[in-house]
Amino acid sequence: MRLGKLAGVSALKGQELGLVAVIIVLAVGFSFFNPDFLSADNFRNVLVAVAVVGIMAIGQCFVIIAKEIDLSVGSVMGLSGLCGAYAMAAGLNPVLGVIVALAVGMLAGLVNGLIVVYGRVDSFIVTLGMLSVARGLTYVISGGLPILISPSVMFLGQGQVFGVPVQVLIFFGLVVAGQIILKRSVLGQRVVAVGDNDEAARLSGIPLGSTRLTVFVFSGLAAAIAGLVYTAQVSVAEAQAGAGLELDVIAAVVIGGASLSGGRGSIIGAMLGAYLLGALRNAFILLALSPFLQQMSVGLVIVAAALFDQFRQGNFHYAAPTWLSFRRQ
Amino acid sequence: MAEPDRPTTASAAVVGLSKNFGAVRALKDVTVEFRAGMVTALLGENGAGKSTLIRLCSGELQPSSGRLLIEGRETIIPNPLAATKHGIAVVHQEPQLVAPMTVAENIFLARLGSRAAMEGHSRGVLVREARRLLVEIELADAFKDLNASSASLSAAERQLVEIARALAASPKVLFLDEPNSSLTRRETDRLFRIMSILRKKGVAVVLVSHRLGEVYEVADRIVVMRDGQKVGEGSADGLPKREAIMLMAGERLSQAASAEGSQARTAEASGRPVVSVRGASGVAFSNVDIEIHAGEIVGMAGLVGSGRTEIVRAVIGADPLLSGRIELNGRPVRIASPRNAVRRGISFISEERRTSVFYGHDIAFNLTSNVLDRFGRLGFFNQRSRMRFAQQRADSAGVVAPGVSTPMRALSGGNQQKVLLARALASDPSLVILDEPTRGVDVRTKAEMYKLIRDLAHVRGLAVWFISSEIEEILHLADRIVVVRQGRIVDNLTRGPRAAQIVASALGEKVDDATALLAG
Repeated sequence: MRLGKLAGVSALKGQELGLVAVIIVLAVGFSFFNPDFLSADNFRNVLVAVAVVGIMAIGQCFVIIAKEIDLSVGSVMGLSGLCGAYAMAAGLNPVLGVIVALAVGMLAGLVNGLIVVYGRVDSFIVTLGMLSVARGLTYVISGGLPILISPSVMFLGQGQVFGVPVQVLIFFGLVVAGQIILKRSVLGQRVVAVGDNDEAARLSGIPLGSTRLTVFVFSGLAAAIAGLVYTAQVSVAEAQAGAGLELDVIAAVVIGGASLSGGRGSIIGAMLGAYLLGALRNAFILLALSPFLQQMSVGLVIVAAALFDQFRQGNFHYAAPTWLSFRRQ
Repeated sequence: MAEPDRPTTASAAVVGLSKNFGAVRALKDVTVEFRAGMVTALLGENGAGKSTLIRLCSGELQPSSGRLLIEGRETIIPNPLAATKHGIAVVHQEPQLVAPMTVAENIFLARLGSRAAMEGHSRGVLVREARRLLVEIELADAFKDLNASSASLSAAERQLVEIARALAASPKVLFLDEPNSSLTRRETDRLFRIMSILRKKGVAVVLVSHRLGEVYEVADRIVVMRDGQKVGEGSADGLPKREAIMLMAGERLSQAASAEGSQARTAEASGRPVVSVRGASGVAFSNVDIEIHAGEIVGMAGLVGSGRTEIVRAVIGADPLLSGRIELNGRPVRIASPRNAVRRGISFISEERRTSVFYGHDIAFNLTSNVLDRFGRLGFFNQRSRMRFAQQRADSAGVVAPGVSTPMRALSGGNQQKVLLARALASDPSLVILDEPTRGVDVRTKAEMYKLIRDLAHVRGLAVWFISSEIEEILHLADRIVVVRQGRIVDNLTRGPRAAQIVASALGEKVDDATALLAG
């Protein structure tokens, strides 16, 4: 058996390359209509805008690779941001306030995970429930009123380090950490195995329960970090923070090449997916297009990305009419 | 090598058929006929092109060049559904059933493809029609309850459903790809009876199988393939088994049962057993006592459904043990999960590859899936060490592939099995449990695996416990044979002529052939 290389790059890198190509084409294309699109300032604006969704997409990526789903991220984001702000407003040290926020997010993820693993309830249902429960809790705790956060924490969402906004640094840092964990840690590879074939994973000695629990805790943690960043960005914690974001988060992960049937995915892909969505929205604003068109286009992009993924996997020969010859099988 | 065009009325024929996957030429200019009312056996090692040929005939793949003729007319079959409309049906090696549906619903699954066929789709109607179909092919007693969910069927029952499903469409051409790899003698006999019934009805039956003895019992014509080409063709009398084997391998190849090449036994079976099971009872077995010593190979023989897999699954913690004791190296243990078992030095390879293989990933991933912690610290690992380890272990298992980054899906069944064996050995176990280790594996790979397994016990001193439904395999490989019937151990013998007879009768084989098998 000789050591050899596969012709070409691995399947998933194909999706990432495809995304980069699309992003560049879009950037160049849109810049014809509005040259501001390619400016450094605008680039930074887009990154800042997508950081929150992007951070949550990192956690969601692990969940989706494990063949689960977490619909509660938007609500957990709001809940943890609010709990952190509440703690700080009640006099707690800002650092402890941050810890409270992170703990709340991880706890919500843990509850999701426990019900999925031990209650054997489908994650779609469990996290759908958590979506409502967490949002409700947010309203209960806040009484519907916004809470101002401590100024010392505001740098998380408004500060800069060497000209780079802090939340973007946090986002990139988490992307790198997430990719390393996914590809080079025992846990990451277990998540991939469980998502690919959970019975095979179980019989070969991988702990299904703890692996699944961990991905939900990751997702909750990511939601909490996103909540902190967002709250710092707008300087107040509001009860409706994060509402509806879960769909953007899942869309970013799927555009990035993860399959909802598990076993495949990349953090970098999720990051590119989040960026693409944000860049599109940004482009529509700069081109002064109707926000309704914006919404439609996002939906189209999601479906197009999924179709592209299927095409790359070579799954189209059943549908193709005989006169259309697909060399690839 | 294309034959001159001549009119043919064969049920199905291919002329000059070729198929390329990029640079790989899987099929080169193949011309074969499958005639009505005859059983044609398609022989060849893994990678010879048999599966590719079937997939081309059934619409799963499109040819790169060449023609497909149905009853003499040139046809294009764009997808499997069109194939069924042309009267072509396939029974696959690994049965694919819809678990929540009933047996009857799975048999008539194709009806979901047409509105007209959906009418009258009530469960009662389906059960009646399923029963009628099964009676026609003499399988009426194969299933306890046609209305039961398919989720808990055994591997053999799943295979029978797959067969019934193929026949539900009244095909004119039936391809059977390793149909009896999950069946024992009794069920294989049933399958052969079905094939004679079909033969009388004028169906063209094409059988792909590695069990040459059985193939020669039932085939009318033999077609041998090697490296994507047809290398031999003739009647079953005109092309005897030895010649077929030589054609398949391209060189003189001693029979798979030969002990050539394996090293002398250097590790004797030790006194104290590695694993000892006492009074174990579970859902499908009761009061089981078994001991496996280091350096010995124990084969568990029995009919499909006798409870062998269940016993083994309870030992590795995949299913709960209702009562009884398990001792490892003399100390009583409780094995709560397969993870526990692996930790304690017990490895397991399951009977069906679909519950063992990570199909979306490569050899390295599959091989190292449960030993990643040894390539690094603090929960992270070094990718290069992992690949190097995978390469080494894949090499010693004799896996044939361009590299360990090759996707598992690209490997033949035999190679996949070798990777799974390498995975089982990766955790340095003291006991290896193999459930039907050479199911769906070609003759040459079988011989290689037998050598590997023997070395594991006799040279490296591991304890090996395997389950098999093939009498040759048991008699050839096992130092000691345990016979299971209906969830109980009924015999425990060392190898020898008496063992041959007992095992043969346990498996329902003809007893007088058994001693001949042992000698040959």
